[in-house]
Parts: sequence; C-alpha cells; structure tokens
Amino acid sequence: MSEHATATHAAPATHAAHDSGHGTSLGVDSRKMGVWTFIGSETLFFAALIVTYLIYKPRNLAAGGQDPKEFLGIAVTSVLAAILLASSLTMVLALAAIRRHDTRQFRIWLLATAGLGLCFLSGQAYEFTKLISEGVTFGSSMFGTTFFVLTGFHGTHVAIGVTWLLSVFTKVWRYPDAPGNDMDVELGGLYWHFVDLVWVAIFTLIYLLPDSI
Amino acid sequence: MAEAQTTQSHSESTRFYWMVAAVLTAITVVEVAVTLIPGIPHLLLVAILLILAVIKGAGVVMFFMHLRGDARVYQLLFIAPLTLASSMIIVFLAIFSNYVGIGG
Repeated sequence: MSEHATATHAAPATHAAHDSGHGTSLGVDSRKMGVWTFIGSETLFFAALIVTYLIYKPRNLAAGGQDPKEFLGIAVTSVLAAILLASSLTMVLALAAIRRHDTRQFRIWLLATAGLGLCFLSGQAYEFTKLISEGVTFGSSMFGTTFFVLTGFHGTHVAIGVTWLLSVFTKVWRYPDAPGNDMDVELGGLYWHFVDLVWVAIFTLIYLLPDSI
Repeated sequence: MAEAQTTQSHSESTRFYWMVAAVLTAITVVEVAVTLIPGIPHLLLVAILLILAVIKGAGVVMFFMHLRGDARVYQLLFIAPLTLASSMIIVFLAIFSNYVGIGG
C-alpha cells in the first residue's frame, strides 16, 4: 500500500513540471529541485547549531554555568512534538485533498496545519517566557546562548512556514483553477515537514538525551 | 468503475497517512517513557533514543515528504547533505569530547 501511495503522489509532480514550464533537463520540476536544495542546506545549518549546543553543554557545566537539566522539562516539549507531528499529518492530508481537487477538505487541512503551527509557537513562547523568568536568558550562560539560538531559529522557521502556508492558502482561494496549485502546496508542505523533522532531532538531542552523549 | 477505483485509492492513501502518524506518535510516547525508566543504563538509553529518532525522521521523510519513490535527484539533494551533517556532528563531538578550552 505504501508503494502505491508514494507512487501515485510522485508521478503527477513530474508531469506538472513539463506542463507548467518548470521542467529541467533532469525531467524534474525546477521549483521542487530548488526547495530540496534549500532543505539540504538547511540540514547543514541546523546540524551546525545542534553540534554547537552539544559541544558547549559540558563546557558550560564545567565553568559552573546553568544546568539544562534544572530548566528544561519534557512535559511542554512533548506536547509541542505531538503538535508538530499532527501538523505534518494535516499537511499531507491537505496535499492529498488538493490533488483530488477537493478544495473544501484542502482548506480545512491546510488551515489546521497553520493553526497547529501557531499552537506550537504559542507553546514555545510559553517555554521561553518561563525560562527567562527563571533567569535563563540569551546572555546568562553558554547554555542560554546556544539553546536560544537553536530553538529560536527553529521557531523562526515555524513562523515562516505558517506565513508560507497561509500565502499558499490565499493563492489557491483566489485562483482555485490555476495550474500548478498542487505543486505550490507540495513545496510549502516539503518545507513544513522539514521543520517537523528538525524538531524530531531537537527533541531527542536537546530535551531527551542525558548528559555527555 | 474507474471513478470508484480512484476514490478507493484516495481513501487508502489517506488511511495510510493516518497509520503513519499513529506509528510516529506511538514512537514519541515510547521515547518519553524510556527516559522515565529508573536505572536504565546510560548507553542503552542513548542508543534507544537515537534509533527511535532515526525511525521517526525516516518516517517523516519517506512517507510525508514522499521522498521514497520520488526522483533520484531529490533523494540525492537531501541524503548527501544529511550524511555530511551527521558526519559533521559525530566528528565534532569526537574532536571536542575531552577538550574544555572553548567556552569553559
């Protein structure tokens, strides 16, 4: 069934590449290729931020800095992980809906995705506020600096993703019969799933893993 | 007839996405539960969490991002930087594992 599901979703994109004038000599859509290239570069970007956090964590403790274990709880972040996971599901359901020209379902699922993204940002704002009230700030320790840079950049990506999805929603709303609508949704979806993917890594490496990995 | 088959195909793929999401949610629950087990060996905990995270990530990439079954060039554009990034993390952690010279 999975083979069937992926095959039926991959094939139209290639044809759309040629139909919409965005084809390449490789036979793929140039916009989708651009988004995958961008995602590849973003992977390296977040890897740099994650490794910086992990390298500085023991040094921060050795210097008597704030201990992440005292400040980072997994209760809130587990909920945030579930929210982003749910948003990935609603995103892929929105893509499936627009591919079968079911605009009503598409609108519901895409708005749900954006809504879940906003819920995630609210949860992150709550976590940041709590940390700041406990004395963990950007300049309080190396832990504070590396933590806020990493999670702050991720939150910024979520905010950009919400904006991207809402702009796609507006475009499809105004031009429901425009060619390439499904590709627009797919490209926004790729970015959104990547944001979820980064949180999978952050959740495990920053919140769940014990010290000194 | 053809329309009925298309409808069935759509409903199957939708059900498949729900199943993937359910599995990923279950993995997340297991991840959190494992950290709450008292006295679990450190190395075992690290190994379990990393394996579960890799499975979760692979699920998102293969089934939600549809990289499985998609064009090879997309797979290359993602897997090459991912391999480089993973190697970079491992190498940097190894290099700095016993070094307290920066930021400390």
